[in-house]
Amino acid sequence: MSFLPAPLEPVRPALLTRVAPVTRLVVGIAWLVVVVLPAGPGVPLALTVAGAAALGLLSGLPLARVPARLAPLGLAALGLGVLTVLVNPANGDPAAPSVLLAGPIRIAGDAIAAGITIALRLAVIALVSVLVFATSDPTGLADSLVQQWHAPYRFAYGTLAALRIVPLLAADWAASGGVQRLRGIEPGGVGGRIRSFGRRLLVLLVTAIRRAERMALAMDARGFDADLPRGVYRPVRLGRLDLLVLVAGIGVAVAAFAIGR
Amino acid sequence: MPAGSVLLVIGPSGSGKSTLARAFVGLVPHEMAGTWSGSLRVGEMDVATTPMQRVAARAGIVFQEPESQLVMPRVEDEVAFGLENRGWTRDAMLARVPEALEIVGLGGFRRRSTAALSGGEQQRLAIADVLAPLPGLLVLDEPTANLDPPGMEQVFERIASIAATRERTLVVVEHRLDAALPLADLVLLLDGTGRQIAFGAPDEVGRAHAAELDRLGSWVPRAWSAWAGRPGDAGDRVASAVAATAGERARPSPRPDRAGEPVLEAAAVTVRYPFAPGGIGRPAVEDVSFSLCPGERAALVGPNGSGKSTLLFALAGLRRPASGTVRVAGAGGRVDPSRLPGRQLARTLGLVFQNPELGFVASTCAGEVAAGLPTSGRSAGPGDSSVAEALRDFGLAPLADENPFRLSEGEQRRLSIAAASVTRPAVLLLDEPTFGLDRRGADAVVTLLDGLRAAGQAQIMATHDPRLVPACDRVIALDAGRLVFDGTPRAFLDAPPYRPAGPWRP
Repeated sequence: MSFLPAPLEPVRPALLTRVAPVTRLVVGIAWLVVVVLPAGPGVPLALTVAGAAALGLLSGLPLARVPARLAPLGLAALGLGVLTVLVNPANGDPAAPSVLLAGPIRIAGDAIAAGITIALRLAVIALVSVLVFATSDPTGLADSLVQQWHAPYRFAYGTLAALRIVPLLAADWAASGGVQRLRGIEPGGVGGRIRSFGRRLLVLLVTAIRRAERMALAMDARGFDADLPRGVYRPVRLGRLDLLVLVAGIGVAVAAFAIGR
Repeated sequence: MPAGSVLLVIGPSGSGKSTLARAFVGLVPHEMAGTWSGSLRVGEMDVATTPMQRVAARAGIVFQEPESQLVMPRVEDEVAFGLENRGWTRDAMLARVPEALEIVGLGGFRRRSTAALSGGEQQRLAIADVLAPLPGLLVLDEPTANLDPPGMEQVFERIASIAATRERTLVVVEHRLDAALPLADLVLLLDGTGRQIAFGAPDEVGRAHAAELDRLGSWVPRAWSAWAGRPGDAGDRVASAVAATAGERARPSPRPDRAGEPVLEAAAVTVRYPFAPGGIGRPAVEDVSFSLCPGERAALVGPNGSGKSTLLFALAGLRRPASGTVRVAGAGGRVDPSRLPGRQLARTLGLVFQNPELGFVASTCAGEVAAGLPTSGRSAGPGDSSVAEALRDFGLAPLADENPFRLSEGEQRRLSIAAASVTRPAVLLLDEPTFGLDRRGADAVVTLLDGLRAAGQAQIMATHDPRLVPACDRVIALDAGRLVFDGTPRAFLDAPPYRPAGPWRP
């Protein structure tokens, strides 16, 4: 039984899938730094357009499935944008030019600009997360982090092992709730619900720890964490293409800042 | 043990088989706490004094649960993982990974996702993982416990071909002895306290100790049944049920109470998951119809992933069918279980999972049994008489104050059945109720279920164990979500509706 959606993965070869995950990560961080610098809506607008173009042309992701994946963050961006417009100190500032006057409600032009900026910033963050992470399979990301950045391999590959357990925990959670319902243990009131939730959480924790222990034993028995130097089955090499993407990606961020500021 | 031979370790639950298996590969004493005495050598290497990673370079182990021993998302990376840990060069790995996959029959699987493999394929992959670094010693700790019959057969075929090369020394711990015994050159018997009873050639050990092994509650291989004074490794209860079904062909219906109104009825039930692995909309259970009468026990069988668990969820009202209906006989006539309030549902349906721990809610066994009782009026605490009665009936009275998480597997299973049945549900749904139990533990569970059935309870048990099938009145078989058989155990075992059919016969 499956309780989690299939991951969003590239379905065709594309420029972004051919560069090392760390390259995408560095460019992504550069974009995030630029987008949070204090500036008007021009900077995040430029990056949103550039990000959407990269997503469409360079990512190889199945575009039909992207909107569904981005919908929660899109809604959050919209909500936060509207909230920023409505609850904004500029609305109460008589010096700021107003664009809307409806009875007691007064919306200033500055408030609208601030709302658009916030919403677009969130849109850029969402786009960057998809461009960096959905184009890397977890194995490739771990390999790249270990080989290029010398991340501790125990952490990187241990995380991969832990990721395998997540869908199993989702099934365990459904099972524990099912058993409680069939035993007539129906929580009454808020306190009861919290206690029931706590009990299921405890059961989930116990089973998760047991699974993790078994996984750790299996990994130890296969020589994980040995003092020997580790072999490399999937070398990740940085090439000219990485340099190109790095320069172009950071160039876009700098240009967006220069133009949009 | 001479190099290149095969040792089979046999003993009842709690005999230390797994602990011994872990000691052979150095996990005991290096990774698990405890006291250690005596000496254990693998080749020239003393396991207790050699660092873990040096032991790991020479000895490998396969565990019973596929999902908690595979590390990497892709098949070839999984095999390479152990080689990377041991510092192999890339060229050596590129040569060895396909070889190891070929040995276990997964030659074309290099780029597949490990999560999308069947249970049998995952266990064969786990064997490839430990074979890849060319270990001298290969330990298999119940490698087929989680598998459906064909998966089990595939794994044993591969173990047999590895054993035949005589290049590796094998230690096999198994409950399914009929498949394992023919491979063994040597047998080690342990008793319930972890002491050695015997060690030697299988026939000699069997002749001298089969009866003792049986007395200890262990499964006994069929080949030894004459020496044990038993008709087969399935033990008393299940074996006598085989005898009963053998003589029952003349009788038109084995069902005890066919005259009664059905207590459970599934009509054209189809269940879909939003995130189905086979593509959105592919049903996990499709168009399944059957009904169950009071006092009737049905085995629900089918390969891994054929929809057994999903059907149990749907029957329990925990997952609403996309189409079709489930009806149970409730207080106010026939009702949809998903619409029943908790207290009424608890009197109508009970559910016991393969992993009993998932259902535990209390810190003592008595509290666990009491948790499902109605609390209206006089409080039904752990001291309630019906709680004490249930604990006594299930042989758990001495453990009333023990924490459920600290019980043995057999005790946990009995506790979960006690907790699910204290509300006297008309239908009990069980997922692999004898999983991981020795013969005594399995007999105890079946005896308890017999008592509940005699009182009119209907039971459905999902199982992979063909030994359990004859203990049922009826078999409901699924394949790829569809019902492919509904009939007597005899008819099922004579002509299992699966290809190959052989592994489904006990």
